Amino acid sequence: MPVNTPDRTRSAAALDRLLQGCDGVQAAMFALRDGRPFVEKSRTKVEGGKLAAMTSSLVALGKSVLRELKAGELDHVLIEGSTGKLVVSSVPDSGGLLILAVLASSDARLGLVLGHSKMCAQAVAAASQDGAARSA
Amino acid sequence: MSGTHKLVFIGEPGAGKTTCIGALSDIETVRTDVGCTDGLADRKETTTVALDYGELDLGGAGRLLLYGLPGQSRFRFMFDVVRDGLLGVVVLVDAASGDALRGLNETLDTYADELRQLPCVLCLNKHPDPPLELRRACQDAMRAHELVAPLLAVDARRREDCVRIFELLFTLLQHGGYPYPEVDIACP
Repeated sequence: MPVNTPDRTRSAAALDRLLQGCDGVQAAMFALRDGRPFVEKSRTKVEGGKLAAMTSSLVALGKSVLRELKAGELDHVLIEGSTGKLVVSSVPDSGGLLILAVLASSDARLGLVLGHSKMCAQAVAAASQDGAARSA
Repeated sequence: MSGTHKLVFIGEPGAGKTTCIGALSDIETVRTDVGCTDGLADRKETTTVALDYGELDLGGAGRLLLYGLPGQSRFRFMFDVVRDGLLGVVVLVDAASGDALRGLNETLDTYADELRQLPCVLCLNKHPDPPLELRRACQDAMRAHELVAPLLAVDARRREDCVRIFELLFTLLQHGGYPYPEVDIACP
């Protein structure tokens, strides 16, 4: 089945807004569900290829755990370390195609990171729907 | 030979890892496959992005924990997740594929360092009688990566073949000079 890839420019713009609008966000990436980078923006050096693969594994494992526990659909995966936190979520309405990974410093407010991540994902989802409607 | 033992299956995408674990497992398997978004989609619909997991009861011979890793080298880090306590590694090759050797070489390029430290078996899958040239070429590929391992033709979905692989790995562990798995897997 052909994959309807979202617009790369609009996805990059959404990542820019996330980095500029949310204090403490160090890097953000859209990855494809099978672990390949799509677009990334970063204030620090991040190995995009490896991060894309790892985020797709995290999402897949998260979904498997929730399925096993009959705990519903995955909203996000959160990993917190002593100097940083990573929020990984699926982009809604992309057919599971895109994953958003956001790396933030430890002092970034989790609620804000989650909120901005959600807005970023929704912006790309909306852009994808616009594109699909235009091509229909 | 009793107790719980951990086996990992590696190999190129399409070598049969997910199918093998699904067929062998006594429990419902954990699967993490997603739709392919690259050229692989021409050959198969889905690909594993984290791991497959299943368990196989061998009766008096113990219990096998079966892990299947993604075939693409970008998921190499998953080996670090499953490494502790491994009994050995099963390298699966799609012997029915015209490109079997390329797939094997990619796998060996990615995992040769690990394979030198663990008992491993090279299994030609999906072909009832793999041609002699392919067998020789696979052995040559192993040697080129400074690896030595038994080569078997298997149907990786068959329990008897998995038992044969396990026994061979166990023999390698006992007599091949490999360190015993450091982590004791305490499972009921």
